[in-house]
Amino acid sequence: MNSRSRYVWAYFMIAPTLLGTLIFWGWPVIHSILLSFQQSENFGLVNHWVGFDNYAKLFRDEEFWQNLRNTLYYVVLFVPITLALSTFFAVLLNTKIKGLSIYRVIFFLPQVTMPAAAAMVWVVLFAQDFGLVNHILGTREAWLSNPNYAMFVLVIVGVWGAIGLNMLLILAGLQGIPKSLYEAADIDGAKRFHKFRYITIPMLTPTLFFTSIILFIGATQIFDSIYLIIGKTNVALPSVRSLVYAYYQNSFVYFNPNYGAAIINVLLVINLILTGIQFALQKKWVVYD
Amino acid sequence: MKRGNKFLFMTTLFLVMALLASACSNGSNSGTSSNSGGASTDSKKEVTLTYSIWDKIQQPAMEAIAKEFTEQNPHIKVKVEVIPWGDYWTKMSAAAPAGTLPDVFWMHGGQFIKYATGDFLEPITSKVQAGEIDLSNYEADLASIYTLNGENYGVPKDFDTIGLAYNKELFDQAGIPYPDETWDYAKLAEVAKQLSQPDKGIYGFGAKLDTQTGYWNDMLANGGSILSADMSKSGYNDPASIEALKARYQMILDGASPTHQQMTDTEATEMFKSGRLAMIFDGSWRISDIDSSEIIKGKWDWAVLPKGKVKRGNIINGLANVMSAAGKNKEEAWLFLKFLGSQRAAEITAEMGAAIPAFSGTQDAWVKSKPHLNLQIFIDQVADTVPYPSGTMAYPVWFAKEPEIMSQAWGGAITVEEAATKVAEMMNEAIAATK
Repeated sequence: MNSRSRYVWAYFMIAPTLLGTLIFWGWPVIHSILLSFQQSENFGLVNHWVGFDNYAKLFRDEEFWQNLRNTLYYVVLFVPITLALSTFFAVLLNTKIKGLSIYRVIFFLPQVTMPAAAAMVWVVLFAQDFGLVNHILGTREAWLSNPNYAMFVLVIVGVWGAIGLNMLLILAGLQGIPKSLYEAADIDGAKRFHKFRYITIPMLTPTLFFTSIILFIGATQIFDSIYLIIGKTNVALPSVRSLVYAYYQNSFVYFNPNYGAAIINVLLVINLILTGIQFALQKKWVVYD
Repeated sequence: MKRGNKFLFMTTLFLVMALLASACSNGSNSGTSSNSGGASTDSKKEVTLTYSIWDKIQQPAMEAIAKEFTEQNPHIKVKVEVIPWGDYWTKMSAAAPAGTLPDVFWMHGGQFIKYATGDFLEPITSKVQAGEIDLSNYEADLASIYTLNGENYGVPKDFDTIGLAYNKELFDQAGIPYPDETWDYAKLAEVAKQLSQPDKGIYGFGAKLDTQTGYWNDMLANGGSILSADMSKSGYNDPASIEALKARYQMILDGASPTHQQMTDTEATEMFKSGRLAMIFDGSWRISDIDSSEIIKGKWDWAVLPKGKVKRGNIINGLANVMSAAGKNKEEAWLFLKFLGSQRAAEITAEMGAAIPAFSGTQDAWVKSKPHLNLQIFIDQVADTVPYPSGTMAYPVWFAKEPEIMSQAWGGAITVEEAATKVAEMMNEAIAATK
């Protein structure tokens, strides 16, 4: 086979993925960048250029800065907690106990539950009059509409939903650690904690790095739980409203897709910068064999 | 091996191309055949129309109308599709530019102008002029809501007004006479306080954060307004409007109404249905829903809204059926639209108690559809009504933002004055932006 036909063949094989990525990811990104420099009318059938107007308006918008702070606050709470708990449960489920696969299924269940259905259950759990949370704690707190608590409710729901998949990824990472390392440590008389600290953690860092990036990007895009659990007539909305929520509202509810596109492009830039920083920092802590 | 690969490659490529080509030609073929097919052959083409509505409660009545239509026109089937109000306009605004609006669908006065100016709706002016339909058959001004620049677009479907629903049992227990036309807002607040037993989770009135079935009626009754008559300025910052809003919020502070959070956890109407609210304002479209509750069935009724300082406030709104300009089967869609506007369709709507039909002379059947309830109040109050304040390009924008601001006041984060002033500013900005 000559090299030319090999290239053709290779491109043909990746074509479905490549085309899918370009059409469903590439084009929307370009389109949303273009949109943010335009003003659209009549459902986007008429567009005219307005330069940086949307961005100028955005940076003067107090609500935008509040939404940005909310989003980052959520990320700062959500990512470390999820990572720590996922690792914790993965290590527990990496031992030989009875009914191991049942536990694994239980922890993975939230991942395959419909987010909307799960959100409705959480709403009932946190309800003021008849919620289980108030019943157990003996309180009469309006968890969902108290600006001080609403964000924590969202973090709890988010962590609950995210542990399953991340635990599975970390579990796979754990099982990839060669047994011989632990055997050698046993011979040297290492304690359980030392084995965890000096073998498990370092060998797990590539997985942890990958999971943290995925978690991080996912967390900046929080939308559905705000929409479903908090809702638009909630007094606590301003203290939890995220950038993606604001994007949805502007694009699809207020019919201002251009302003929405500007919001989402700011998030894109933030994500690119922060992911770049994470990649730069990984040299300091990630161990590849 | 190499030959085989190339052969496979070419075959696959060819197949993909063929598939794409056939998909494209399919699309355009069916478009033309619907025009020519009917004329050239006697046997009519089987057509399925989509009819989108947002009210699940009216689904049985709409399906009954569709069924009768299909009996008269066996080649046209109608699929009634319910999209909840919360998603309806989001879906429609995505479908409009994509050319995939349903063949026939419910239109709301607040959304009409956007869709009509974009030429997404099929004008029916020529049909009206040809005498295929007579728009004077419908009550009052309902048809004129769906007119833009002299073109008619909508066939009036129904109208709705607001009433005061009350729980007879709770009134009897407290020995208080039922609400009647002598009541004013002071009396409402007083009785609401008397009927409340917060320790049992029972409240006198649901002072909900709501517009059409909430404080808009209060604001009008108190001499305030929602929008100025020429629709150029908000009326939220009118002192009379603010006074009415404060009076409503005061009922929550007095413990005469559940809190905003309680009414977010459980919708006020649902509380009324479970016997935990003695009184509530609600729209005529909720009658069947409330009456379906086993808990209060036979123990509740309707009264007119209380009088305010200036008058009795009430909002009238009328829906219309419209058809898509991009539909593939417009001829059939028109037949269905015409049937939806017929006296027969109005009678089905009335008899099944789905909504107050817009067709003149059919309302009595609606009033009689539930003889155990005093539905006459919805017809009598038409004289007090002000039209729903839509009808500008700015309406969908300010209407979406309004509850976000007002909920700050209802949740106690800012004062009612602050919220009303903010809403007024926001509305005036939205109106200015669409000028």
